Amino acid sequence: MSTESDGGLLRSALSSEQVDRTFDFCGRHAWTLIAVAAVVGALPPMFGLREGYYMTVLSEMFLFGVLALSWDIVGGQTGYPSFGNMAFFGIGAYVTAILVTDAALAFPLAIVGAAVAVVVFALINGLIVLRLRGHYFAIATLGILLATQQVSRNLDITGGASGKILLDVPPGIVFYYFFLGVLVAEIAVVYYLSQTRFGFVLNAIRDDEEKATAMGFNTTYYKTAAWVLAALFTGLAGGAYGLFNTFIDPQTAYNGAWNVELIAMALMGGTGTVAGPVIGAFGLHTVIEIVETAFVGWQLVLLGVAVIVTVIGYPDGVVGTLREYASEMDYYEYGGMAATDADDEPEVTADE
Amino acid sequence: MAIAQFVVNGLLVGALFAAVAVGFALIWGVVDIINLAHGEMVMLGGYTAYWLLSIATGTAEGSVLLFLATLPVVITVLFVLGYVLQRTLVSQVIETDIFLTLLVTFGISIAIQQLAIQAWTANPRSIQVAFTDPSMTLGGLVVPKMKLVAFGGAILLTGMLFVFLQRTRTGRAIRAVSQNPEAAALVGIDVEHTRAVTFGISSAIAGGAGAFIATILNIQPQMGLIYTLKSFVIVVFGGVGSIPGALTGGLLLGTVEELTAGLVSSQWTLAVSFTLLVVLLVVKPQGLFGTEADQ
Repeated sequence: MSTESDGGLLRSALSSEQVDRTFDFCGRHAWTLIAVAAVVGALPPMFGLREGYYMTVLSEMFLFGVLALSWDIVGGQTGYPSFGNMAFFGIGAYVTAILVTDAALAFPLAIVGAAVAVVVFALINGLIVLRLRGHYFAIATLGILLATQQVSRNLDITGGASGKILLDVPPGIVFYYFFLGVLVAEIAVVYYLSQTRFGFVLNAIRDDEEKATAMGFNTTYYKTAAWVLAALFTGLAGGAYGLFNTFIDPQTAYNGAWNVELIAMALMGGTGTVAGPVIGAFGLHTVIEIVETAFVGWQLVLLGVAVIVTVIGYPDGVVGTLREYASEMDYYEYGGMAATDADDEPEVTADE
Repeated sequence: MAIAQFVVNGLLVGALFAAVAVGFALIWGVVDIINLAHGEMVMLGGYTAYWLLSIATGTAEGSVLLFLATLPVVITVLFVLGYVLQRTLVSQVIETDIFLTLLVTFGISIAIQQLAIQAWTANPRSIQVAFTDPSMTLGGLVVPKMKLVAFGGAILLTGMLFVFLQRTRTGRAIRAVSQNPEAAALVGIDVEHTRAVTFGISSAIAGGAGAFIATILNIQPQMGLIYTLKSFVIVVFGGVGSIPGALTGGLLLGTVEELTAGLVSSQWTLAVSFTLLVVLLVVKPQGLFGTEADQ
């Protein structure tokens, strides 16, 4: 879907053959690349970056990587575009906060409790909303998000509209490694699954759910499992974020702007891929941070415009557009039809 | 008696919800798009009326007639905006993936909302309409006059749309495009133009309703999403593309909200609406009036 001018610019910078080779390389050495990325991610604190602005920004980048990739498990791989993923985040954050303050549990125990709560919540509402498709599914998930937010605002245990202040939290470095760990674990899990029958069935559901059912797959099981997996990672991120931020209220825990940001990140990076959402998260979060510092208050205007432009101009995202570009060479090598076939191959990359 | 009062309040507000929802239902039915920026049209309608009154009187206060005089301007402005949005942005993603159509309107929604915050701050505002005697009593029930005017206006807007779709040539073209765009194109209807007109009309009605909302509730830049979702509840309840269904749905939603506010607590109204949305979607996604209901 890349436009002419984009193709021209890209072509002068690097040839489609090089891009193709890069994809091949990443596909062959995916596990090594994941390991290298994990090590590189773990380095900054060892070289003295232990607190301050950049530490927070990096932690948030990992956090958004988790959120975007989680969204993509259901939205990109399975074809169920959720507009309510922040519900899992918020529930994770609130349960952790309540367990830490009211039940005086330690952070590791509290986060396990939050994970259990989110999984149960996702299982129940997944069985209900995953029966819906298209418009109905999208709006139902948005409805769940807003209903959960309203309930958190009205209950006593959640601190109502004023929220909960969390004192006595672990230092920032703990969350840095926590978010990094969750992100690396999630990339590994999603990459592994994308090469198994499980991942293929998810893609089959996206492409044609009725055919997938006709082939004998229990699609309800597969999509609910994907939904719960996405919820688990989102909930873990949310649980840690509450303490990382030392404060949660209904606005931050079910942040409406983030709800759009994480979808935009997955879309810009390339939905249905492993690397895409993570690249999108790192890229868009960097841009948003820059805009936020330079033009306070305009970052969401930019986000809205960026979403519109991406949807209209580059709906395949960075990875999708590049892959299409890379497969241009196949067109000549295999004499025509191979290039179109290349798009149907399972979408697997991990050039993180 | 208290319950009767809640029901009356609910019906009065519900008519406004219905007027917002018919436009949403119209776009959904004709263009096959869930317009997540629909609530922003309500918001912009409210602000247009607010600023027109402010320019005319210096403060956002005025008599009923002065307020009503702003409506034609509000409706025109919003019609043009809706037409342009469809023509330039939304038309680019029609008939692609549903997810992309949702996302493009979501993008429009955020951009408009955030620009509104930048331009007018996030403070809630409202239009004060002056009456010598602001409310009247009918058989023991208190009815604020402005709410009655808004109720009448909302019903009128909805009724006008209904008549327009049934009786005029453009209205018939809109219905033709909704039934079968290809066949409509074959008989010489400009499909793109008709869709854009639909978008414009829908935005205009939402804007008109927004102006009334500014007089009886309040307006602020982030109010849109709630109205979009309420429209969704109403349309799902009444059936896609059905105006009588949307009207009934709106009146019912208003009543349910007022009863919740009166009998439980006003904090719970939104939670009840959104839960109702999810329940309705799961239990009766085709709507109580079904899609075959008359347009």
